[in-house]
Amino acid sequence: MVEPPRLSVVVPLYNEEENVGLLVQAVREALAANGPWELLLVDDGSTDGTARIASGLAEQDPRIRVIRLARNYGQTPAMQAGFDHARGAVVVTMDGDLQNDPRDIPTLVAKLDEGFDLVAGYRVRRQDRWLTRTLPSRIANWLIRSITGVSIRDNGCSLKAYRIELVRKLHLYSDMHRFIPAVAAATAGARITEVPVRHHPRRFGRSKYGLGRIARVLADLLTIKMIRSFRERPLVMFAAGAAGAVSLGLVFVIGTVAALLRQSQPMTVVFPATALLWIGLACYLLMLGLIAETALHEQRRSDAVELVGLREEAW
Amino acid sequence: MTKTVELPDVVSVALPVALEGERSVEISVLVPVNERPEPLAELYEEFSAPLRAAGWSYEFVFVAEPWCGELTVPLRDLAARGEPVRVLHAGQTAGEALLLKAALAHCRGSIIVTLPAYRRVEAEALPALIAKVRSGVDLAVARRWPRRDSWINRLQNRALHWLIQRVAHGKIHDVACGVRAMRREVLEEIPLYGDLSRFFPLIALREGYRVEEFETPQHPADVRARIYGPGIYLRRLIDVLNLFFLLRFTEKPLRFFGAVGSSLSLAGLAILVVVVIQRLGGGEALADRPLFLLGVLMFMLGVQAVALGLIGEIIVHLHAPRRRPYRIAWWGEGAERAGAPEPAWAGRGDARRAEG
Repeated sequence: MVEPPRLSVVVPLYNEEENVGLLVQAVREALAANGPWELLLVDDGSTDGTARIASGLAEQDPRIRVIRLARNYGQTPAMQAGFDHARGAVVVTMDGDLQNDPRDIPTLVAKLDEGFDLVAGYRVRRQDRWLTRTLPSRIANWLIRSITGVSIRDNGCSLKAYRIELVRKLHLYSDMHRFIPAVAAATAGARITEVPVRHHPRRFGRSKYGLGRIARVLADLLTIKMIRSFRERPLVMFAAGAAGAVSLGLVFVIGTVAALLRQSQPMTVVFPATALLWIGLACYLLMLGLIAETALHEQRRSDAVELVGLREEAW
Repeated sequence: MTKTVELPDVVSVALPVALEGERSVEISVLVPVNERPEPLAELYEEFSAPLRAAGWSYEFVFVAEPWCGELTVPLRDLAARGEPVRVLHAGQTAGEALLLKAALAHCRGSIIVTLPAYRRVEAEALPALIAKVRSGVDLAVARRWPRRDSWINRLQNRALHWLIQRVAHGKIHDVACGVRAMRREVLEEIPLYGDLSRFFPLIALREGYRVEEFETPQHPADVRARIYGPGIYLRRLIDVLNLFFLLRFTEKPLRFFGAVGSSLSLAGLAILVVVVIQRLGGGEALADRPLFLLGVLMFMLGVQAVALGLIGEIIVHLHAPRRRPYRIAWWGEGAERAGAPEPAWAGRGDARRAEG
């Protein structure tokens, strides 16, 4: 058997038939002086010739491996497929549209070797439409930063390097690829940093992103926030909501009491009803929190507890 | 000539002695016996004839709910005559989905055919469906076409499928026809429970399997006006709702509950703002405005929906390490998981390496 490579480059592809060949060529050139590597091309159910071209390239070069998914799952599952099959000690992900530059890979890997688990690239001169791509991305990154507390300038840049130990701890689903640094920090205690990378305009093919993702990103952000802050104590989150509801309820209780004291006739129903509604909401949220704790408890019974980066002091 | 064998999980089997230790069969026809079954021996004779004529190796596995136990008696004679018939008895009322899964665990074929215990299509459909699976289709489903039904049935059918097509992306024209042939892996891989067996092809499509429909004439015995009680129609509606959520939001429940919840909350908030502004402008006291109550109520419902969505996300997140996030159609040359450790969900259902 061939010696396993030190570096695995994972590239999810969806309908990139014009770009595959150029991409492989660029990776080959960029990594020529870089020790053993492998290139994992994950074809995410493309409907064009991407898979065929990719497997043709793989036949000529044993360093290239192709995985074809059964349908179009989206970028996150495709990336997870690459992660699951990567053999290197270091995994680098990048886009298949040639907007990332493989020549940045050695930089990322060198930074990783300084003692990080994840090195994210950030695009210095973005070559995208400002209004529909760059601006929403700015806002999203600001939101992600302030909500997750992980300060990464450019979450949308796919060019990232990971230590394999971190990769093995990541279980990505849905559209989590946008939040990998936050997820990695929350679930695996990753040490994260970032380096500037090049960015090229798209030459072939069409962008697979649109503006429709904003609402989805907001919902996902809420999820990430919850995972980050309340993963081990969901009841606290629900109790916080319940506390808010109870305080609002108390305001109306006071209003009701005040009305009673003034003995206004006839007694109106709106204030006491509102007070009861808020208090009802608080009870409901508390009960939901208990359900969440139950789900967590059932899961943790079967999980081995694993603390990231745990090591004994050498005397 | 038969003996009863206890198998794990609530199923006991009458295994014809002649079948024990016999070579494996290629085709297992699974017949769940739970709904308006017709005489089973005749059913077997009719549907096994084309398979026998084609010279294929096959077995029929009948799996009966407790109350159908008597109906399987004639099958014993068939088994005694050496026909490849097996009968499983479930210990409980289980529904079609669980009956199929139980039968699957105890049958041997690499191609699985599911056949209702009543005649939906002509027997000739079976070899045609099986031929499709042999030629590389993962799941071949029969579609009764042209219909010879009464207009009322056709109308019901239209309405149901109109709804389903709003919900699912793939087009399946006859979900009610349970005559399907598939590679064994498909039935093994797809979660099937409750009332989901009806939507099996749609779930298979979503999992990336190749699904094809095959148009075949309706069986004369199937042509009859059927009008159900209101409960049944309600159940179908609930099924479609379940399908809707299942196909789109199982991995991201908050997107659904968040959309519902935030629109409710925002609407409630808008009402509150209007009422408060009117109050400040010298209008009626808040205590005299029932509209205020409506605003609060809507806002709260929204919060509840979002909270439920968060519960969903917690469950999804906790299960993530054990859930397979994708299915692989094929690996290129040398691209097996060589050297990489197996994930917790591995070893189920990925296609083997690319052929050719």
